[in-house]
Amino acid sequence: MATEAAPMDEKAKRMRDLLSSFYAPDPSISTSGSSISASFDNINSTSFDADQYMDLMIKKSNLEVLLQRHVQMAAEIKNLDTDLQMLVYENYNKFISATDTIKRMKSNIFGMEGNMDQLLQKIMSVQSRSDGVNTSLFEKREHIEKLHRTRNLLRKVQFIYDLPARLQKCIKSETYGDAVRFYIGAMPILKVYGDTSFQDCRRASEEAIEIIIKNLQTKLFSDSESIQARAEAAVLLKQLDVPVDSLKDKLLEKLEQSLDGLQIKPEEASLLAEHNDSSNDAESNEQLPAKIHEDAVRGFSEAMRAYREIFPDSEERLFKLARALTAMHFENMELYIRKRVSAADFLRIFRIIWEDVVLMDEVLPEAELSDLSAEAAQVTVKKFVARTFSHLQQDISDTILKFDINQREAVEEEVLKVVLEASKKAGIQGTTDIFQDFRQLLDENIGIFVKMKDLIIGWIQNGFQDFFRSLEAQFLVLSGKTSSSKDIEGGLVEGKSSDKIHAGLILVLAQLSVFVEQKVIPRVSEEIAASFSGGNSQAFENGPAFIPGELCRVFHAASEKLLQHYIDTRTQKISVLLRKRFKTPNWVKHKEPREVHMYVDMFLHELEEVGKEVKQVLPQGTFRKHKRTDSNGSNTTTSSRSNTLHNDKMTRSNSQRARSQLFETHLAKLFKQKVEIFTKVEFTQESVVTTTVKLCLKSLQEYVRLQTFNRSGFQQIQLDIQFLKAPLKETVEDEAAIDFLLDEVIVAASERCLDVIPLEPPILDKLIQAKLAKSKEHNNNNNTVSS
Amino acid sequence: MQGGSSGIGYGLKYQARCISDVKADTDYTSFLTGTLSLKEENEVHLLRLSSGGSELICEGLFSHPNEIWDLASCPFDQRIFSTVFSTGESFGAAIWQIPELYGQLNSPQLERVASLDALVGKINCVLWWPSGRCDKLISMDEQNIFLWNLDCSKKSAEVISKDSAGMLHSLSGGAWNPHDVNAVAATGESSVQFWDLRTMKKVNSIEHAHVRGVDYNPKREHILITAEDESGIHVWDLRKAKVPVQELPGHTHWTWAVKCNPEYDGLILSAGTDSAVNLWYASASSSDEKPSQSPVESIRQRVNPLLNSYTDYEDSVYGLAWSSREPWVFASLSYDGRVVIESVKPFLPRI
Repeated sequence: MATEAAPMDEKAKRMRDLLSSFYAPDPSISTSGSSISASFDNINSTSFDADQYMDLMIKKSNLEVLLQRHVQMAAEIKNLDTDLQMLVYENYNKFISATDTIKRMKSNIFGMEGNMDQLLQKIMSVQSRSDGVNTSLFEKREHIEKLHRTRNLLRKVQFIYDLPARLQKCIKSETYGDAVRFYIGAMPILKVYGDTSFQDCRRASEEAIEIIIKNLQTKLFSDSESIQARAEAAVLLKQLDVPVDSLKDKLLEKLEQSLDGLQIKPEEASLLAEHNDSSNDAESNEQLPAKIHEDAVRGFSEAMRAYREIFPDSEERLFKLARALTAMHFENMELYIRKRVSAADFLRIFRIIWEDVVLMDEVLPEAELSDLSAEAAQVTVKKFVARTFSHLQQDISDTILKFDINQREAVEEEVLKVVLEASKKAGIQGTTDIFQDFRQLLDENIGIFVKMKDLIIGWIQNGFQDFFRSLEAQFLVLSGKTSSSKDIEGGLVEGKSSDKIHAGLILVLAQLSVFVEQKVIPRVSEEIAASFSGGNSQAFENGPAFIPGELCRVFHAASEKLLQHYIDTRTQKISVLLRKRFKTPNWVKHKEPREVHMYVDMFLHELEEVGKEVKQVLPQGTFRKHKRTDSNGSNTTTSSRSNTLHNDKMTRSNSQRARSQLFETHLAKLFKQKVEIFTKVEFTQESVVTTTVKLCLKSLQEYVRLQTFNRSGFQQIQLDIQFLKAPLKETVEDEAAIDFLLDEVIVAASERCLDVIPLEPPILDKLIQAKLAKSKEHNNNNNTVSS
Repeated sequence: MQGGSSGIGYGLKYQARCISDVKADTDYTSFLTGTLSLKEENEVHLLRLSSGGSELICEGLFSHPNEIWDLASCPFDQRIFSTVFSTGESFGAAIWQIPELYGQLNSPQLERVASLDALVGKINCVLWWPSGRCDKLISMDEQNIFLWNLDCSKKSAEVISKDSAGMLHSLSGGAWNPHDVNAVAATGESSVQFWDLRTMKKVNSIEHAHVRGVDYNPKREHILITAEDESGIHVWDLRKAKVPVQELPGHTHWTWAVKCNPEYDGLILSAGTDSAVNLWYASASSSDEKPSQSPVESIRQRVNPLLNSYTDYEDSVYGLAWSSREPWVFASLSYDGRVVIESVKPFLPRI
């Protein structure tokens, strides 16, 4: 088919080309299609040169080909010829028919013009007729239109005249919605003609509307209406262009004012708590403040709910209000707990606040009140815990200091004992109370407390740790051992205050430290283990929790430090006494001893005071004659025996030459066990007194060593020491050491003496007896005076 | 009687109170000590630590006319030293020179260079110019402080200036500031007083009672250490002298003497009447601490400042001296006349 179609196409194409070349004015265009392949041999080309083609043909081809070409060309020419003939014929035909048609047209056109004129005339007359109709009907139509307009106007006027009545009706039936719709419909007219024709009408309807507004406002303000109704009223009011915002502000302001009423003022809080308390006993009393408060808050939250619905755009403000109330609650709470508050009261108030918060949270869940209050609650509870501890510390130091004031006047009345007992009691009672309080905190099952349980435990443990640490620090400050950080700047202040502090107080503090270490801390740690464990993991993150071991160590160290401090202050006092005694006289020119010097009395008096204080505060030790370790106990006995032997010798050999006597002392010293003078102080009456005496005698020895004596001076020392022997031995548990030290004093004096001749024993005895008699007489006198 | 002590002992014949490092002797570690005997003939011993450090050799023994209460070696001439002595009734002070003939005579006479006899009261101590060759001396009695000019060649001493501290203060000892040669600290009944030698006037004082011993820290300016009867050892910063910088517990009984190590900062030695010598380390940070920190806290935070306690003594220890040649060696002297030389080397790494 393709092969068949191709020559067909070829043929058609050729025909078309020929035709177009025939008609087309520009032959180049017509041949453009076929001249694509134009060359010399293309006959169809315009630039075809027959001679050239011929030459080329003859040159290129042989005869046969030329012949063939000739035949082919002749055929082609014949073909073309017929084609052209056909073309001419066809075109001629067409010319003839066209000429016929034109001839016919020419004959038909005559007479047409007359018809046309006729038509025009007719149309013109039709138009004039219709215009006539139109003008004749115009006036009537105009009139109808006017009538129609008037009717509309009249209807409107009617409506406006009816408006007040209709509004009244609406008021009566409380269909404020319709009323507002009517009124708003009439508004434009009233606005335009209100001042002239419809004055009365307008006034009347405005009055009605005012009533409506009023009614709507009251409806809005009245809490008894349903929220839906109130919301509608608000919408209507808004439509009536009543300034709703100011209304809203007014309402919210009212709400804010009511906030003040809702505050739990610190002064009222206790009342609230108390009344709440009494409600358990007497249920008849209905009007309890707590109840009132609860109702108030309920009302408040209801109002908030309503406003939220009514004024959706006022949410932020309501949030603010709710937050403010919560914040205020917790602020007041803080103020409240600044005073002393029991945990029960604290919890009661807390519960009330929590209930409030829960109520409000229900209404405004987006206000994140629970988060806010949880934070605030954490802070408050933490503060409460801290405050409880500081109160306890205050209590204890108050108890200690309360008695201190009258101490000077009444040393006799065992004030120290009273102070000690009171402080002990304060300590124990305080911790017990604190535990009770905290247990209440933990037992509380308000949601927030359950959440905070671990935290609270952590706080409590930390609190105890800090409490004991600061207690210890306070003890040290009270004792004057360290100045508090406040007066660290002025060293003079420190010095003065340490002078003022009564030595007995230091002793009490020492014993109190022991008590804390041995009783209070174990107890506290037990309690914590029993009911406050579990919070550890959290507490460790924040810092060290309660470590009883460390605290025990701290207090142990403190107690030892304080006891040492007590002994130091006491010996210091005696030391001053001794210093005066030895610095004042010229010992080289001393006169013969006539009596025991009075400093001995003062020394003994001081010791007596120490004894008294110690007896009040410290426990009596298991009486051991010799304060040594058991291993060399046997040595002790020998040493004391050698001492007594030595004493006998001393008295016997008094008349002998001093030097040989001294030699003997030295010899005796050589064979004697080195007496341990400075043993560790224990918390017993005897130990403290003994240590004090030992230290004082050592000081005495050192003072003696710094002087040079003549014979009389030495004898004076000898006499004084001899007199001291008996009373000291009575008060002291370690006789051997005291003997040794007294001897040492005499030895020291003899070493520092230019002319050692001891007093004769009879004279010594006589003088001592005289002194004893005198002091006895003195005592008797005192007794008679007192009796 | 001797326990397991590492110390090297040396016995004096009589009781003694004072020992001094011979600073000018650069070849040997030597100490001078003098006895305190009212009735016997008193001696001055020149002791030398053998080169191995294992023995204490008596290099010279000289008789001294009176019992010696204080002794100080001249910082620039090892043969010169000062003593404060007492006849029992009166006190005196003198500068002595050790004669050249060592060891030949058993008890050669000391050459008296000068006597500081302008003293009226009970003289307590003689202080040499702290370092270098300078012929200035200070002597103190209970009420007065004197500045002397010593002329060794002319064998005389003259008072340059003096001032009275007043009856009430009764000075008992002192120390010359090694950082400021115009400043001298003197211990009194109720305070430590500071004098400016240029004006010879009291410039400052620390109100602190019963100070026995005082020493400047040679390594750090403004740091002063005091030893007290009952309340132990205090470290002071003289720029804020109201409150001590640090408090060390001191001794069971009185703390008699306290000495700062000439080389190792913070190393403090104290001697007490409880027959013990304590070695302390007052950490160097003490003065850099924030003032807000109370001393208690700072002490608590620190490890135990007591490095060691030497207790191998029979009687109260009054004499104490660091060797300036071998700063880890110190000499101590107890009342019974026993000199003990100890080395603190084992404790140095702990500093």
